[in-house]
Amino acid sequence: MTKYIIKRILHALITLGIVIAIVFVLLRQMPVEGYFNNFDKYTPAQISVGLQKLGLNDPIPVQIGHYFKQLLQGDLGTSNKYREGYPIAKIIAKKAPISIELGLISLVVALGVGLPMGIMMARSTRTKYKLWDKFGTVFIVVVQAVPSAVYHLLIQLYGSELLGVSMLFDMDKKITWILPIFSLAIGNIAYYAMWLRRYMVDESNKDYIRLARAKGVPAGKISRVHIFRNAIVPLVQYLPNSILFTLMGSLYVESLYSIPGMGGLLVQVIKLQDNTMVQALVLVYAGISVLGLLFGDLLMALVDPRISFTKKEGAR
Amino acid sequence: MEKQPETIMQIDDLHFAFTLRGQLLHVLRGITLDVYKGESLAIVGESGSGKSVLVKTLMGLNDGNGYVESGHILYEGKDLTTLKTDAEWRGIRGREIAMVLQDPMTSLNPLKTIGWQIQEAVELHQDLHGEEAKQAVYKILGEVGIADAPRRYKQYPHEFSGGMRQRVVIAVAVACRPKVLICDEPTTALDVTIQAQILGIIKEMQKKYGLTTIYITHDLGVVANVADRIAVMYAGDIVEVGRCEEVFYDPRHPYTWALLSSLPQLGVKGEPLYAIEGTPPNLFQEVKGDAFAPRNPGALKIDFVKRPPMLAVSPTHKARTWLLDPRAPQVNPPEHIRALREKGRALKLCEEEGTHA
Ligand SMILES: Nc1ncnc2c1ncn2[C@@H]1O[C@H](COP(=O)(O)OP(=O)(O)OP(=O)(O)O)[C@@H](O)[C@H]1O
Ligand SMILES: [Mg+2]
Repeated sequence: MTKYIIKRILHALITLGIVIAIVFVLLRQMPVEGYFNNFDKYTPAQISVGLQKLGLNDPIPVQIGHYFKQLLQGDLGTSNKYREGYPIAKIIAKKAPISIELGLISLVVALGVGLPMGIMMARSTRTKYKLWDKFGTVFIVVVQAVPSAVYHLLIQLYGSELLGVSMLFDMDKKITWILPIFSLAIGNIAYYAMWLRRYMVDESNKDYIRLARAKGVPAGKISRVHIFRNAIVPLVQYLPNSILFTLMGSLYVESLYSIPGMGGLLVQVIKLQDNTMVQALVLVYAGISVLGLLFGDLLMALVDPRISFTKKEGAR
Repeated sequence: MEKQPETIMQIDDLHFAFTLRGQLLHVLRGITLDVYKGESLAIVGESGSGKSVLVKTLMGLNDGNGYVESGHILYEGKDLTTLKTDAEWRGIRGREIAMVLQDPMTSLNPLKTIGWQIQEAVELHQDLHGEEAKQAVYKILGEVGIADAPRRYKQYPHEFSGGMRQRVVIAVAVACRPKVLICDEPTTALDVTIQAQILGIIKEMQKKYGLTTIYITHDLGVVANVADRIAVMYAGDIVEVGRCEEVFYDPRHPYTWALLSSLPQLGVKGEPLYAIEGTPPNLFQEVKGDAFAPRNPGALKIDFVKRPPMLAVSPTHKARTWLLDPRAPQVNPPEHIRALREKGRALKLCEEEGTHA
């Protein structure tokens, strides 16, 4: 088991290294303006001195080597346009917490509402009128068909009126948290409900459920111990990813409620051509994705005995 | 004279239908059948004849779009057709009637150890818990021929071969301590070499626990091996029922003739295997007369008009065919079926292979 985990972590690190190197090389193809604030004010001589100082005149492999060394020391570099000379790590540390907090709460809400909803829908497919299933399906279809920008806006407009609160986010007034959290959760609610329902219906038609019924296991226990337990397995794999992705914040929701979070930061620095920050943020996001996949696979292996820790993943 | 066997279950004029896109599919059309205590009854018939639906009806396990239209299933004085909800069925499922399904590869929960799955049955029906229940599981594992029980207990289904999994499924069924064991094609999905072992284990369990067994199969070779009595099903109806040797050596219904003729063992070397012409009737429509008549080259006129009654050949042997009516003309079965009859007489099999009951 430890061997499997170490192997997976090594794989993850290698993947990450490759991603960083590729982005690094691509960014170096961009005009050098991205490394200077107020590029136009510099004379060519100043520029070449600056480049020399930044090590940008070295051959690319050497530069990559330097960059990795810097990263290993825990240094993400400094911003050169967004906030000139300011350490990038500090910028992220200031903006990330609110995104993470909102994201995690919304994820809890999504799981807390989406999973029971999926269970209710799956169960109701066995009843005569399938009321819950129909109701839930309408909800899911609406959430997926309507562009998210539209329902985010509607939630903000009607929600603030309904609750009688300001349209904008205020860190200290918890009631203003409700709408953005709901906005952030609604897509995931639909997602979890839809897939859990699908997987549960699939499982409940399997032979082993028939055998469990033939054994005389009560319906409630079959639903909990056999169907739900087995249907949750494929969802578990994506859970770490959705948790980690909340770190990024949501560009749209955060700008809608003017939340001072991470969402939109990447877009902003790309527009500004702040190359070092683009590089650092891509690294963070890539790291999150790779970590999410890694934890997903590990969790999956924990809950499904058919995935062996010793053999290659997926061996049955 | 044998003493009258005791009936454990009486199926009486059972009609069962599925609603399918607004239409009714009449899958069982008036099944009447007695099951005797301790016997081993085989139900044979071609694919789609309703064998699985019949046994699922006995346990209330049919899909939600099916329902009993009319008829009764009397089990120890209780009419099972009156049971509706899962809660009402619970006293029957497992406790009275248990089932072994066709495909052992899919009949076990892949995420639970096999020990857990057997123990679930033990705890439900033997009222044992904890360590005691575990010991009971070890014992059952031994009985179905799985050695090294403590280690096997902790393993998952994917660590077992098909034959081993079917042993586990049998263990689950037996752990319920049922009176009736239904085996729906228990060996169809298995290797030929394993089939005999599995049949052997079922027979052993039957003897050990005094089970009444109902086998479903379309393999007549299996039937000869395990059954005391045979019921032949065609298009949702039982067309012939009798002791094993009676149905094998003295079949009366033209469908049974056709079924036996298609047995490879009866074929003549070098000639193509007999295949029944035509297709079974469309059960969305009402079937008139004898359902097999359109496929029976020697059908009588009345076969197309009126459903034949169950007529007795002997006290234990009945067939639903007008040929048994005294007014019917003499129709001789095909050549090889007559040969079978001769063979049966010569062997006097009736005496040797009596029932266990
Ligand atoms: N849920 C259902 N809805 C509609 N029709 C069904 C349903 N379940 C079974 N049937 C139909 O009932 C008929 C009898 O099916 P059944 O499974 O009992 O056949 P069988 O004799 O067991 O065949 P096999 O030997 O292939 O297992 C078939 O025509 C089948 O299509
Ligand atoms: Mg079947």
